[in-house]
Amino acid sequence: MDFDLEWTSEQLAFQDQVRAWLADHVPELPDHADPADLTADEYALQRKLGRELGEKGWLYPAMPAEYGGGGMDLGMSMIIEEELDRYHLATPPYYDTGGRLGSASIMVWGTDEQKEFFLPKILTGEIRTWQLLSEPESGSDLASVSTSAVKDGDDYLVNGTKIFVGSNHGAEYSWMIVKTDPRGERHKNLSWFMMPMDLPGITVEPMDLLLVGGERGAASGVKNTVYFDNVRVPAGHLVGGENNGWEVAGTHLEIEHGLLRSAVRADEMLERVMTYARAATRGGHPLTEDPDVQDALVDFYVNSQVTRLLHFRNFAYRAQGRQLTYEGSQAYLHQKRSALSKARAILEVMGPRALVSDPEWAVAEGHIEVHQRASIVEQHPGGTAEIQRVIIARRLGIGRDSREQPGQLPSTQKQGQ
Amino acid sequence: MDLTLTEQQMMLQAAVRELRERDYTKEALVAIDSGEESGAAQWPGLVSTGILGSLIPEEYGGVGASLADTAVIYEELGRGPVPGPHFSSGVFAALILLEGGTEAQKQELLPAIASGERVFAVAITEEDYGWGPGFIHTLARIRGNDLAIEGTKLYVHDAADATDLIVATRLETGKIGLVHMPAHGGGVAARPLPGFATGLCEVSILQASVPRSSLIGAMEDGWDVLERAMQKASLILSAYQVGGLSQVFDMSLLYSQTRRQFQQPIGRFQRVQDHVIDVVNYLDSARWTTYEALWKADEAREGAIAAMHTAATVASESYYYGCNSAHDVHAGMGIVREYGLTLHTKMSRTLYHYLGSPRYHRKRLAQALGL
Repeated sequence: MDFDLEWTSEQLAFQDQVRAWLADHVPELPDHADPADLTADEYALQRKLGRELGEKGWLYPAMPAEYGGGGMDLGMSMIIEEELDRYHLATPPYYDTGGRLGSASIMVWGTDEQKEFFLPKILTGEIRTWQLLSEPESGSDLASVSTSAVKDGDDYLVNGTKIFVGSNHGAEYSWMIVKTDPRGERHKNLSWFMMPMDLPGITVEPMDLLLVGGERGAASGVKNTVYFDNVRVPAGHLVGGENNGWEVAGTHLEIEHGLLRSAVRADEMLERVMTYARAATRGGHPLTEDPDVQDALVDFYVNSQVTRLLHFRNFAYRAQGRQLTYEGSQAYLHQKRSALSKARAILEVMGPRALVSDPEWAVAEGHIEVHQRASIVEQHPGGTAEIQRVIIARRLGIGRDSREQPGQLPSTQKQGQ
Repeated sequence: MDLTLTEQQMMLQAAVRELRERDYTKEALVAIDSGEESGAAQWPGLVSTGILGSLIPEEYGGVGASLADTAVIYEELGRGPVPGPHFSSGVFAALILLEGGTEAQKQELLPAIASGERVFAVAITEEDYGWGPGFIHTLARIRGNDLAIEGTKLYVHDAADATDLIVATRLETGKIGLVHMPAHGGGVAARPLPGFATGLCEVSILQASVPRSSLIGAMEDGWDVLERAMQKASLILSAYQVGGLSQVFDMSLLYSQTRRQFQQPIGRFQRVQDHVIDVVNYLDSARWTTYEALWKADEAREGAIAAMHTAATVASESYYYGCNSAHDVHAGMGIVREYGLTLHTKMSRTLYHYLGSPRYHRKRLAQALGL
């Protein structure tokens, strides 16, 4: 076995090229502890960077070049990801979950016309896309959504409410699942739309939540409620066939359930906590001499290593073209659960200081206090811990004669991205 | 980056698996565990595969394999779990001799370990159990050309099956001396300890005398030698625990599919599913921390020691808790001895403290991280 990411000379040359380009193009952005503090101007700079990356095929490096992606292999994609990570950014460098999951779904399920229409917009950074799944009465049971789309001539009329949507600064499109056959059989009554957000009848209203995410790329943003009131959308925006939405959801959820985590991202919180502990004193003694503090830090460290290695394994398997089954949800489950024990470890190490966002007393410019909330908020998006367990059970074949097969992925996604 | 086994490792794995499935069937393992059989019938077959010499360089009659290659063997043995002195002799004792033995000692003893002619056990711990030099009280006094040794070693793995011992002693200088001596006779007696553990023994040493040349690597403190040997041996032990867990997972998954209650497989119940999922989570956590630590050790990478302590912590805890979860899946059937799950439960307890408990490794990890 080899746990090294060793680059060929060709890849190293590419790395130099990416590094130099980013040094010239990545704007100065403050490292907000609370992502909600990101201003419209700062967001505009991130979008500009996205378009510039898009011109080079570096925004969606693994997606096909004919649609505006980079057409690159996993190694090249990784290099771009690694170099952006130095700036605490990812591909894309802003929240674009609808684009990420929607473009993959369109690759598998879209018509040629839809690919040509939507993919270049997404892959070059022209549009940013939210994903719309949850509703007030539909959470873990996604197939029960009741937002409806009813055929009316060449259009559909959409009515309903979506929650936990998006981020701070609006979106040009939304990738959403709706019910197209109110009397149809469960799982055979759903469809997906790529919905322009400037259509009349759409209202976006921010939710008041324990924590809102950001625009760094991977994090979820400020969350909104989105109301659809007789929104008229052309039928060409329905992707994957009417009432075939649950099949499309297989692709979407396959990626959302832990498949896409970068293998390179360092555990920033581990570094922050270690840095704090090494510098702090308590009762006149270095904090690290306290055996309880040592225990808490070691717990944190071990948890962090396991999460890292499970994601790394998934990444390496994908790089070798191996089909993942339960592993995505397993890594995601570990990440979610260990976030809670990490938060407790931080509380043990820092005491009430971990809970304070006051500029004078907050640790690491407030990142620690935000993490105390984030660890709780992180438990539910992309499927709760319980949903991950349901997926693991099906994929392993617990209590079943056969193992459930994963959702269909575009060939490029199997290889990474 | 490549997380698959090499072709050679796959062949090794297949060979050990073939041996295990032939000689160490569940029935055979249960019989050995209960004391009905001694394991002597299977031992020559195990020795003939050459695995006892895996870590021993070719110049001393071994194979000279890497830690990762050796771990492949031990992961497969752990699936049994195949008990016996293979680890004590072929891994732990061999590593001590390699790390600290004089050239003469290596030439004399390592080929005999590799061929199975001699079987070593390593006697470190005593009544006030612990894995540090402070816990060594057995005395070794210089008497002319001899060492006079006196003391009681406890929880010594596999001593009853051994021909030779390496005993950690306190020298008159206060340093630790590792002494090679016969496992039986001349004042030395090994007695298996009955109970919920596999292969643990008491070794009493009364007025024993061995030549001074039996001191391993006379120059350096014996604990330093032991420490280096333990750092490597611990990785192989973790791999053995990973093997055990993977068997425990396979048993649990199969049982969830075949055992029916309330007119359906019990694995249809999410309460039961959760227990099986816990086992696979323990398994994969132990597996990947162990594999990365092996790779770091073989490649002499930065952080190899921290990775080893991480793996030891995770593997020991995972095997322990994974067996608990497997018992939740199996309920009453799991404690029926002939079913075979308790072989693992017992082994998970036996190995929990071996070469340092998770608590010990966490402390050492804190040091390795500079805390």
